[in-house]
Amino acid sequence: MVGKVNLEPDENPEEKEEILEGEKTPEIEESPEEEGPPDAELVLKAQQGDVHAFDQLVERYHSKIYGLTYNMTSNREDAEDLTQEVFVKAFEALPRFKGKSSFYTWVYRIAVNKTINYRKKRNRKRALSLDSFDQDIKLDDAYHEMTAKGSPLRNISLSELQKKLNEALLNLSEKHRTVVVMHDMQGIPHDEIAKVVGASVGTVRSRLFYARRQMQTELSDFMK
Amino acid sequence: MMDGKNTEERPAEEQADVMLQQLLHLKTFEMPDPSRMMRNKQNIMRQVRQTQSEKRKPLLDRLELNIPWFFAEPKYGIAALFVAFIGLQYAGMSARNSTTSTGIYTTTGSVASYQQQEAASNVVSNRYPSLPRNYQLFDNPQGNQTVVPAGFEYKEK
Repeated sequence: MVGKVNLEPDENPEEKEEILEGEKTPEIEESPEEEGPPDAELVLKAQQGDVHAFDQLVERYHSKIYGLTYNMTSNREDAEDLTQEVFVKAFEALPRFKGKSSFYTWVYRIAVNKTINYRKKRNRKRALSLDSFDQDIKLDDAYHEMTAKGSPLRNISLSELQKKLNEALLNLSEKHRTVVVMHDMQGIPHDEIAKVVGASVGTVRSRLFYARRQMQTELSDFMK
Repeated sequence: MMDGKNTEERPAEEQADVMLQQLLHLKTFEMPDPSRMMRNKQNIMRQVRQTQSEKRKPLLDRLELNIPWFFAEPKYGIAALFVAFIGLQYAGMSARNSTTSTGIYTTTGSVASYQQQEAASNVVSNRYPSLPRNYQLFDNPQGNQTVVPAGFEYKEK
């Protein structure tokens, strides 16, 4: 699902200081299968100055990067700014990208680091600015189950639930939120997360465990 | 008894995990406004194009951009090559001349060195030492006499 992350220090020296921890050079095996020319071809063209090729890459990965930044910040304006910064940064750093890993995970890594730095620099307790729920949520089995008779969610409005969920996420530390967002919301496997954040798989599992425990405590009212 | 308590706790933990997973799953239904996303992509590409235009282009590209007439017609290029060739020839010739005509030649083992102007003038002044004031090089001229240096003999054939 997730492609390789480019972490060669010389490929992106500016990002070096943004690495969460460790100095490993992760390699995620495969890139997501998309229609159209492969990423490597588009990257090569973009490196030669073809802006249209980069446009295709933006089109391909925009929603994923936005999803990551949005779930990390719970603020759509910040997420939009960050997504923009991530892609512009990727374009600027593209000449240093040697193609040893896939473009997607390289960009993903930039996105994670940028988001964490962004939140460090700005006020952590920014007001929530949330995207609205898709109407299809009411057709979802999990939603039906949670709002069934006797469930604590039965008497809670969707917007209230959304607010509580996002607040619980924001109360997590950056490291814990990163693994929760990547694993539980974006479906990225542990080993790939480990490579992105530069930690061992055990550390990722441990962070995920403690993050979930904290969230369960925060959301205990909805989980009885 | 302890085991029984653990087995009771484990399903409760698992159930809590499942509920949390379900709650987090709901977040995947948060959908961004498509028009905002479109605008965001446009902003990204606008900034990318701006970055691209600010990048320093290769010399040949810059030349082509600044003097397009030079590249528009092949004859200009050929003419420029001809001029460059002439220039190089001239430079080569003058370099060759300077090495053949203005050299200082010495025999093997000797060294040619430059003497500073002051030192050279000292050498000249040493060669012509100043004479005492009472020493007369020339007799005082008398009428139609030819002035000749003292001690100089003039013999008519």
